Order: sequence, then structure tokens, then C-alpha cells
Amino acid sequence: MQDFFELSLSAAASGCIYGLVALAYLLMIRPTGIINFAVGEWAMLGAFGGFLLLTKFEWPYPVGMAVVVALMLAVGWGTERLAVRPLMEKRAPLLAPILALLGMLVIFREAISVSFPPDPHPVPYAFEIQHQKYFIIAVSALVFAGFWFFFEKTLWGRSFEAVSLNRRAAALMGINLSRVTALSFAGGAGAAGLAGLLVSPNVSAHYLMGVPLAIQGFTALVIGGVGRVEGALLGGMLLAFAEQLTTRYAPIPSGYAQGVPLLFLMIFLLVRPTGLLRARAA
Amino acid sequence: MRLAAWLGAFAVLAALPFFLGSYHNDVYRKLLLWITLALGYNFLFGICGQVAFSHFAFYGIGAYSVVILLFQVGLPLPLAITLGVVICVALALAVAIPATRLEGFYLALVTLALAQLFIVVLNEGGAVTGGTGGIAGYRLPAVFGWRIAGPAYTVVIVFLMLATLALLLRLDGSWFGRACRAVRDNPEAAAAMGVDVARTKVIVFTLTSALAGVAGMVYAFVDNTVNPPIFGLDNAFLILFMVIVGGAGRHAGAVIGAILLFLLPFWLSPLVGHHHQLVFGLFVLAAILFQPKGLIGLWDRFSR
Repeated sequence: MQDFFELSLSAAASGCIYGLVALAYLLMIRPTGIINFAVGEWAMLGAFGGFLLLTKFEWPYPVGMAVVVALMLAVGWGTERLAVRPLMEKRAPLLAPILALLGMLVIFREAISVSFPPDPHPVPYAFEIQHQKYFIIAVSALVFAGFWFFFEKTLWGRSFEAVSLNRRAAALMGINLSRVTALSFAGGAGAAGLAGLLVSPNVSAHYLMGVPLAIQGFTALVIGGVGRVEGALLGGMLLAFAEQLTTRYAPIPSGYAQGVPLLFLMIFLLVRPTGLLRARAA
Repeated sequence: MRLAAWLGAFAVLAALPFFLGSYHNDVYRKLLLWITLALGYNFLFGICGQVAFSHFAFYGIGAYSVVILLFQVGLPLPLAITLGVVICVALALAVAIPATRLEGFYLALVTLALAQLFIVVLNEGGAVTGGTGGIAGYRLPAVFGWRIAGPAYTVVIVFLMLATLALLLRLDGSWFGRACRAVRDNPEAAAAMGVDVARTKVIVFTLTSALAGVAGMVYAFVDNTVNPPIFGLDNAFLILFMVIVGGAGRHAGAVIGAILLFLLPFWLSPLVGHHHQLVFGLFVLAAILFQPKGLIGLWDRFSR
């Protein structure tokens, strides 16, 4: 029983991380249709922000965390400005910004690999090591509650929804499309950077940490469905529990747990391609 | 006449390795293999419009399959090659059939996960894959009592590259090539014209993955070693970048992109060390923002 509780707790904590990465994808996909593979590198940037501010400069945790998230919002906004907006204005096909963001992915990763030595960089826990899981769950719950409230209850959130339902109609209603796009990228980078900061005490900041997180995040997204914020969290939880149960009870090497996302992806694409939660009809 | 041109190209490219030293021969072989890979990927990405990150993984799957089948299982060479192709085709079908049922970029998602899993399987595969060290110290079995090595093996690679190019040019000029371009440019219109969109995507993905697998089999005897770091995700991105920088959808573009991005690190390394990837990322971003038709598009503009 104790063992199962421990397992559930650590699965819930990783589920929150996957959920935050899935949320980052979702924030950008919903209004623009762009799938941004660079979210994993954003998470990596968040982790390195944590290393720099918290480990190296020894800032107090809340200040460092706030500054990391603020910087990530700026990174997301800048990424959109540089790699997405010029293409949207040229009315380039949707593939163009996706490829430009892949270029950005490599630029982010290599910029970090140039600036830091290649070994893992430690990031401190928020409180004590044994409380980190609770901290991850609490922060993620707050973030998801905030985004849920934003999309469901505020006029601004509704305007995001309107853009995802029909860009043209939303623009004709006076919604500023480029502002919505910029904000969705800023929010996506914020969520992904937060995920990276929260997970980094366990895995250490490393310039190659992005791709596995990106894969787990979009698997969570496909499981939960791109329709709703709750779906991202649900998908993350399901994926994390499946991974933890596989490594705990199945007699296979632990490295193969990385195969669980691929298996889930295939099953969901075959059986339920819309994900578990459908978008609510407007 | 066209046959004469092909034979001439083959003669020139195949004669070249006999005048090169062993170092330049090695560079030349790898350049030819990258061109082969870029040509195949260009058909999938540039002509059919499908983004996949598994092209280089299939190169690795081909290389590992043929080595394992030859030296761990002990099959004869023709059987090992045939079975290796069967493995690539089966895997490609298993991935593509669910992923292409839907609109959107699911093929990119699934193949990224596949490419990542491939590396995990290689590292965890124990005695079968040789783990992190891979498999080394084998030699190409004799074919009809003749051991092909040195510049003669380079001729095999030249043949592979030209055969791939000929096959893709032929397909591109046929009904199938036009169907692929239609799927890329407007899937709805393609479907309305009677093109089975999902099936076209599955066929192109499977075909190009199998071509990558065959190139991998040839590669396995270039360095006579296969190990996980060779087949990492960096190179999956690199193929995509070659095609984008050279000019997606054009065979000449794929060739130019492959040559440029393969040779660039040799000139860049005194300047930036191992960080030439950063330069590639900037190239790709610049290409997409300012020159979506790639270098071949620039060439078109100036030659007019």
C-alpha cells in the first residue's frame, strides 16, 4: 500500500510535468494550428534559467522562479515575433512556421550547448527533496486552474476560443489575431519553461533534456485531445501512470519505458484520434 | 541519349574514387550516402509534403538489420538484404497507417517518437545490438568469391545513389508523382480528383523509408561499425535541413543542400568547433523566412 502510494505520488508529479508541456503545445495549436516542436527546448531553457539564477546566483526560490517564468514569457513572445509572425503576414502555408520553429529548436539547443559545459547542471529543490513532488503538483494545479478560469470565464479567454473556432470570423469580430498569437506563444513558453524548472532538480539541467520532454508532452496531448485545457492534464497523468506501472511491474529494462509514449500514440491514433476529451461545441 | 548521359555520369562518378586517397575516398562515400538520403527525403517531404523524423532512423534500422542478420543470425548476404528491406517496410507501414489517417502533423509526432525509441532499443539491446558500443569488427562477405573493398566499394555507393535518383525521377514524372504533389498542395482537391490521399502518403513514406534502409545497409560496410551515436536525432534534423536549404521539391535542390551541409562543417570547424549545428539552424531559419525555394530557387532567379 505504502509502495503504491509512493508510485502514485511520483506518477502524479511526472504527469503534471507532461501535462504542462502538453498545455504549452495546446496553447499554440488551438488558435494557430501550429505544432511547435521547440517546447522541449523551452523547458530546457527554463531549467537552465533555474541553474543560473538559483544555483549560481543563489537567488531566493520564489524570486528566481518568478524571473524564470517572466523571461520565458519574453522568449516565447520573441520566438513568435522572429519565426512565426513574418510568415503569417506573408500568408505562407502552415508548414513554414512549423519548420522555422524547428530551426529555432536547434538554435536554442546549440546556443545552450555553446554557453555551458556539456555536463548536467544541478538546480535546487523548492523546499526539501521529499516535498518537491507535492510542490510540482500544487504549482501545476494552480497553473491549470488559472488557464481553465481564463478560457472559460474571461472575455480575453473567450476571444482565444473564438480564434480557434474560426480565425476569419474572429478577425471580423474585431479580435486582434496577431496579439492572440503572440500571447499564445508567450503562454506556451511560460508553461514549458515552468515544466523544465520544476523537473530540473530531479534530472539536472542538460542541453539534451528537451526532446524526451517534447515527446512525452505531445503524447499527453494526443491522449487528452487538443480541445480542452483539462485534456492536457488528464493525458499527462495517464501517460505518467502507464510509464510508472510499466517500469515497476513489467519485466523489461527501464529504458524501454521510453517506448510507452510511442505505444500510446499508435493506440490513440488508431482507436480514438480526437483524444479522450472532445472540444466543447460552441 | 538519356541512357548515354546516365552511363557517362556513372563512369565519371565511379572513376573518381580511384584517384582519391583513402581519407578523401571516405569523405566522398559519405557525401554520396547523404545525397542518397536527401533525395529520398525530398520525395517524402518536398514532393509529397509529409514531415517525418524517422528517415535517418530507417537508415540505422537498415544498417543494424543487415549486420545482425549476417553476423548474429548467420544468414547469407542476399537473404539478409531482403529480410532487412522487409523489416523496414513492415515498420514503415506500422507507423504510417495509423499516423496518416488524420489531417495534421501526426506523422511527424509518431516518427519523432519512433526515432527516439530506436536509439533506446539500440542502447538497451544487450548482445543483439551490442548496447552502447554497437557492433564492430565485421567485414562484407565475399560476393561470388570477390571481396569488394576500397574504391570498388565506392562504385557500389555511386550505383546506389544513381539508382535511387533514377527511380525517384521516374516516379516523379509519372502519374504517382503528380498525385504526390497534389496531396502536398491541396489534399481536398487531390481527393476530389480521385487520389487516395492516405494511401499515397503511406506508399511514399514506406518507399522512402525502405530506400533509406537500403542506403543504411550499404553504409554498414563503409565504416564497418554501427553504434547508437551515429543514428541520433541530430542527423534526422540534418536531412530535413539539407532539403530545406537546397530547395524542397527539387531533386537538384536536395543534391545541393546535401553537398553544402555535409561539406560545411569541414570549413566551419576551425571557426566554431563542433557547433556547426548552430549555423545550420540559422541557415534554415533564414531560408524559410527569406528564400522558401532554397538555393535552387536563387539559382533559378540568377540564371534567368
